[in-house]
Amino acid sequence: MKRILKHAPREKRPKMWRSLGELENDPVFEGLLTKEFPEGASVNQDGVSRRDFMRLMGASAALVGISLAGCRRPEALLVPFKNNNEWTIPGKFLYYSTAMPTRFGVMPMIASTVDGRPTKLEGNPLHPESNGGTNGFAQASILDLYDPYRAKKFTHKGQGATEAEFTAALAELRKAHQKDGGAGLAFLVDRTHSPTRDRLREEILKQFPSAMWTEYEPLGGANARGATEASFGEGARAIPHFERADIILSLDGDFLNCNEMGVGYARGFYPRRNPDQTGAPVNRLYVVESAYTLTGGMADHRLRAKASAIPAIAVAFAKQIAAKTNHAGLTSLVGAYPSPEGEVDAKWVEECANDLLTAKSRSLVLTRPQQSAALLTLVHGINEALGNNGTVIETAAVPVSKNQTTIEQLTDVLKAGRISTLFIFGGNPVYNAPADLDFASLLDSVPNSVRLGFFEDETSQHSKWNVPATHYLESWGDGRSFEGIYSIIQPMILPLYSGLSDLDILAQFIGLSKTEGPEHVQDTFRQLFSGGDFSASWNEALRKGFVATSAYPVKTPAFNAATASAIVSKAVPLIASGIELVFTQSPSVDDGRYANNSWLQETPDFVTKITWDNAALISPATAKKLGVKTDEDDQLSPYLEISSNGKTVKIPAYIAPGQADDSISVALGYGRKNVSHLMENVGFDIYPLRRSDAMRVLPNVEVKNVGGEYHFAVQQIHANMEGRDHAREGTLERFKSKPAFAKTMGMDGEPLPPNISLYTNPPLTAPEQWAMTVDLNTCTGCNACIVACQAENNVPVVGKDQVIKGRHMGWIRIDRYFGGDKNDPEMIAQAIMCQHCENAPCETVCPVNATVHSEEGLNLMAYNRCIGTKYCANNCPWKVRRFNFFDYNQRPLDELYFGPVVKKGMADSLQMSKNPNVTVRMRGVMEKCTFCIQRIEEAKISHLVAAGASSRNAKPMEEFKSACQQACSSDSIVFGNEKNPNSRVARLRNNERSYVTLKYLNTRPRVSYLARIKNPNPRMPEAERVGHINTEEEHEEKGHGETGKAHEATNAPVMNLNGGALKA
Amino acid sequence: MANGTATLEQADPDIKAVQKVPLVLNQRSMSWISNYVSSIVEGKTPKWWYISISITSVLMMMCFACFAYLISTGIGVWGNNSPVFWAWDITNFVFWIGIGHAGTLISAILFLLRQRWRTAINRAAEAMTLFAVICAGLYPGLHVGRVWMAWFLAPVPNANGIWQNFRSPLLWDVFAVSTYFTVSVLFWYTGLVPDLATLRDRCKTKTKKFIYGLMALGWRGGNRQWRHYEMAYLLLAGLSTPLVLSVHSVVSFDFATSVIPGWHTTIFPPYFVAGAIFGGFAMVLTLMIPATMIWPSLRDLISPQHVDKMCKVILLTGSIVGYAYLMELFIAWYSGNPYEKFAFWNRAFGSHSWWFYWSMMFCNVLSPQVFWFKRARHNLWVVLTVCMCVNAGMWFERFVIIGTSLQRDFFPSAWRLFHPTWVDIATFVGTFGLFTTLFLIFIRFLPMVCMFEVKAVLPEADPHYGEDKH
Repeated sequence: MKRILKHAPREKRPKMWRSLGELENDPVFEGLLTKEFPEGASVNQDGVSRRDFMRLMGASAALVGISLAGCRRPEALLVPFKNNNEWTIPGKFLYYSTAMPTRFGVMPMIASTVDGRPTKLEGNPLHPESNGGTNGFAQASILDLYDPYRAKKFTHKGQGATEAEFTAALAELRKAHQKDGGAGLAFLVDRTHSPTRDRLREEILKQFPSAMWTEYEPLGGANARGATEASFGEGARAIPHFERADIILSLDGDFLNCNEMGVGYARGFYPRRNPDQTGAPVNRLYVVESAYTLTGGMADHRLRAKASAIPAIAVAFAKQIAAKTNHAGLTSLVGAYPSPEGEVDAKWVEECANDLLTAKSRSLVLTRPQQSAALLTLVHGINEALGNNGTVIETAAVPVSKNQTTIEQLTDVLKAGRISTLFIFGGNPVYNAPADLDFASLLDSVPNSVRLGFFEDETSQHSKWNVPATHYLESWGDGRSFEGIYSIIQPMILPLYSGLSDLDILAQFIGLSKTEGPEHVQDTFRQLFSGGDFSASWNEALRKGFVATSAYPVKTPAFNAATASAIVSKAVPLIASGIELVFTQSPSVDDGRYANNSWLQETPDFVTKITWDNAALISPATAKKLGVKTDEDDQLSPYLEISSNGKTVKIPAYIAPGQADDSISVALGYGRKNVSHLMENVGFDIYPLRRSDAMRVLPNVEVKNVGGEYHFAVQQIHANMEGRDHAREGTLERFKSKPAFAKTMGMDGEPLPPNISLYTNPPLTAPEQWAMTVDLNTCTGCNACIVACQAENNVPVVGKDQVIKGRHMGWIRIDRYFGGDKNDPEMIAQAIMCQHCENAPCETVCPVNATVHSEEGLNLMAYNRCIGTKYCANNCPWKVRRFNFFDYNQRPLDELYFGPVVKKGMADSLQMSKNPNVTVRMRGVMEKCTFCIQRIEEAKISHLVAAGASSRNAKPMEEFKSACQQACSSDSIVFGNEKNPNSRVARLRNNERSYVTLKYLNTRPRVSYLARIKNPNPRMPEAERVGHINTEEEHEEKGHGETGKAHEATNAPVMNLNGGALKA
Repeated sequence: MANGTATLEQADPDIKAVQKVPLVLNQRSMSWISNYVSSIVEGKTPKWWYISISITSVLMMMCFACFAYLISTGIGVWGNNSPVFWAWDITNFVFWIGIGHAGTLISAILFLLRQRWRTAINRAAEAMTLFAVICAGLYPGLHVGRVWMAWFLAPVPNANGIWQNFRSPLLWDVFAVSTYFTVSVLFWYTGLVPDLATLRDRCKTKTKKFIYGLMALGWRGGNRQWRHYEMAYLLLAGLSTPLVLSVHSVVSFDFATSVIPGWHTTIFPPYFVAGAIFGGFAMVLTLMIPATMIWPSLRDLISPQHVDKMCKVILLTGSIVGYAYLMELFIAWYSGNPYEKFAFWNRAFGSHSWWFYWSMMFCNVLSPQVFWFKRARHNLWVVLTVCMCVNAGMWFERFVIIGTSLQRDFFPSAWRLFHPTWVDIATFVGTFGLFTTLFLIFIRFLPMVCMFEVKAVLPEADPHYGEDKH
């Protein structure tokens, strides 16, 4: 909690000034300042390209003087560091609770700040919906704060304006609409789940009763709300409890994707996945989907199906279950539907339905919230028939807010010309509204459009007034989580550039004054939690980050078959033939909002491992049909032209194993133009094909292979494990018969002669011996650890060109392997970081002793000593060492090759974002995972301080987490002291599933992996291939029995380019 | 000699003495040798020399410019990546250091083995060695990320108390290569002193006399000086001999002591040494055959007999190398280690590396087999072609070992191909410019054949007619 919540009013005469003109408030200077950033300044492309991005980052930061004024605390607390102020120890982090607004509810966060600037975000482990994990977006959102491409100036009709002018204009608008009662007034906002905004909205609707209020999220689940309300009554929100489900069927629902669903949604899933759990059985996951997702990768049985076939499959399931349960409600829902045929795998559906029926009231069927209301409602009906409603699924009563319109309704009114004032808060409708609405020209026709935006983006270019938005770490706010728990969004720093929040504008518009502090949020807080001591409960909420008792009241759901069937009967045709286009969320840029975030751009796609791009994903069979030939080694692909309704998008194809045939998946959010240099030439915009009636699937598109060569920057090129035993998995059955099966897989199965080392290593005598385990059973490969590591360890971004060259710098990489049939493969993810080998091959070969071992078992890098022979990286079997081929921190990304002719230097704002406890590496040195040595040292120091004069071993060291572990929402990564037998890591290292990779090399890694356990249903089609991503040794183990033969058949490695040699 | 033969045959008609072909043809006299070899240095600089050196020095400057670019900008200007952290840089290093083996071998080992035919070629071969080692030395020196910190490799006492890591083969390399270079320079220069004195004595201008005089270190050709010289030369030969074997063994340790499949092989030291001699002899012939074409009378000194013998060495070492290739394959299979098996399978049949592998096989194993035929050994064009093949083949061999092993090692997820950039290519071509420039300077200003040693193999230098071996 901050000590003083009120920021002092700005002084007329600036404390820090960039020129005498500013000091004197010279109008000429003010003019220059606004000219510097007129509307579309960054749009001006004259001779400027993306390569200038990094340089401009520095330049723009310097121009607005954030280097001076940006790094500041609230001015009320502005005390020079020579006077030590309370709590602040130079170089020590201060932790504050805050929250990040997302479309599925706020994510509770803990922000680390140092010297008044936030540098790292973590999940709030106290929050009931969070286990302290985060997703990649949350981790990377801190970089947005320091993004110099943020909107910085108020503009009006392209001309620079001041905040005062805007305030005056706002007052005028208010006056005008007070006359018409808000008839010409409309708001288009993104979803923030903020009770304060809801309160201000109600206030606005009170003052301006005819005003329109529209929420639009391109990837929001607007249909889910309607479907749930139809099924369970008004205000109901279905809350699935995965921890109670034995059998889960996901119809195109990517619920394990924490980017899409947040970390809280599936926190119950992972514990039930653990084969070591006592009591409950290991759950079983069935997934039907068109493109490989994280959830599909975790599935025990995955059915490849076109996205447009999902309704048919759902109907098939409903019919099976209705018939077998004789459930009247469900029968009434699907009675009118014909039995689906064709693309539905009847045997798969039947056996899966049987399995669901064995776990009545302990199963769960779910689908994607973006699906049609009919499908969503049908799924509620299936759950009802299975008896899951009330046991596995509960409903929460969400406050009902009326008077909300959809974007289609808004555009209808805009077309009629009835709106004179349109406020747009957040979002980017010009870019991402359904293409058939033609939002851009409608917006142009609005006389007064006020846009609050974080960037001067596509929507800003069509708006009259542009107001720079504050980052959520810069302004007060609040929000509710998915289950309704209230959190306060606490700012960590004053706005780096001038800016307002949506709450500021709303408050001013209803006649309240603009506040620097949390007054508006406090008003809401008072209203929500009346009674008791306000300041005590407010302070408590700030300290903890949330109000525990504020969750929406939970009810046992009462399924209303009548209202549900009204929706289901309006269903869409079951199966669409032809090639379909599926719009997916990008794991890097979301719906486009993170397009300027270089950390995320460089984080590979979960499945394809493509960075800095989206692609038209097609199955190998579809590729053959379309004549698409790609160069696998160099990742060159031809373009496709996808057309529908007279619109055409040209986008390169990428062959994605596991993709449904005749289905093209394209991630949204790419191909943005004229916003910033970083976004230029990154990916392809697919929104022009997205219509309001086809937000998820566009059936029957025309596809033409137009040839050409496009170079993808793919982080992992080779997808096949080549029969090696790096990522190990087995079936539950196998685990039960031989729990330690993973220890004897592959080369570990044969007794190898003991390795003898020529060298003796220094004894590992320290009381702490650090080690890590990665549980492949729960690791989906969601990338949160990658981004967390990047933020924690100042890992530089290298750009698309360098990724193509194989020089990405990430200290963790997530390997994704496919196995089996190339059209319908199994998938497994494996996080690989420095293994901290006790007998490290990198250490013996370094000629200058720059990489050495600590007594605590850490493999250390002395950057100052490193001369960059790169020998260590060659000799690393895991290839986890990263070399600074260029001065990635000091040079603009596209001037890496320019050598001494360009100026060096890191942008000021980027310097602010760095973790001060981690060295920023220069070119020519090697780097790699340090096991977060800065955290280790901090913990050791605290431990020694606490121990004081007593023995340091008197008490065990306090638990702490590495950055990747902390970010991991599935708890797959465990780090700790191996020497302490009670530590989790020590217990997991002794787990039966635990193994180390490349054991035969005798490097004795400190990172061990826990084998993945699959829980197949033996009656399912192709069940024998589940859990056998690496099965050669098992095949031998079992002899040439029937299972063996099956393996031979399914394991025929179509993708195994070179596998023959392994059996030479 | 003719007398001796006659006597033998008369004494016992069954004994047919081997007709020895003289090492110097056309019964050239001692003075002809001095005059002819010196005339190459003393005569007017030929036009072709100017043309050649202007081309090669431009290439040399290109090499230096590339290194300047590399140092100022970063290793990224090369194509090196993860996992191929070493690519053309170390390939070229091993390539050049391999070439740098023939000279000292010819001078030292053949000297100790009393191979008198070495005299005609040892000077040029040693010079070639030095220049090749210079080219080689550039790479490990400059391929490091922070050249300005490369002095960390030297055991300089420092306040941090950090010492070198003596377990690292790269450090052994530093010592091995620098020792080898130092001893090679000493050896070469020692052998050069009497000939420098000859040049000094023949000089017509004062400047030249002064310079050659300075370089001749006051050599007067006295008995005592010869005695000291012979002793010093013998000692240096003895000192160099183990170095010939050690340098490339140490270079091979860079790979052999690692854990990478395809590198981790105990066969490497002998295989690398054989390969180095193989490649070195090919390079000597590549340089000397054109020289004998430019100066046809040199063929009296570097006669078909010399070429023949060198071809036989190439055939022998080429076959050793071929045996090593096959043995690697056998051991990879016999080890039962899937990673090893894959590494070699990938070399031979991998989608992008088979081309290098089979080029290497053709150049290094198949092409020298023509030397089984005497006619091939005596056709300079055939010899030159095979030597060119071997030169290229040895480069392929190093790339096959370094590049293809790294491209695909343990974790398929980390696999990635290597593509050279223009800087890689220009640097490598540039080192040839450096090498040939130095060699052109050498043949212009120093006697490329060791005059006094060749004179010693003339029949008239042997008053006992070969009968003194008792």
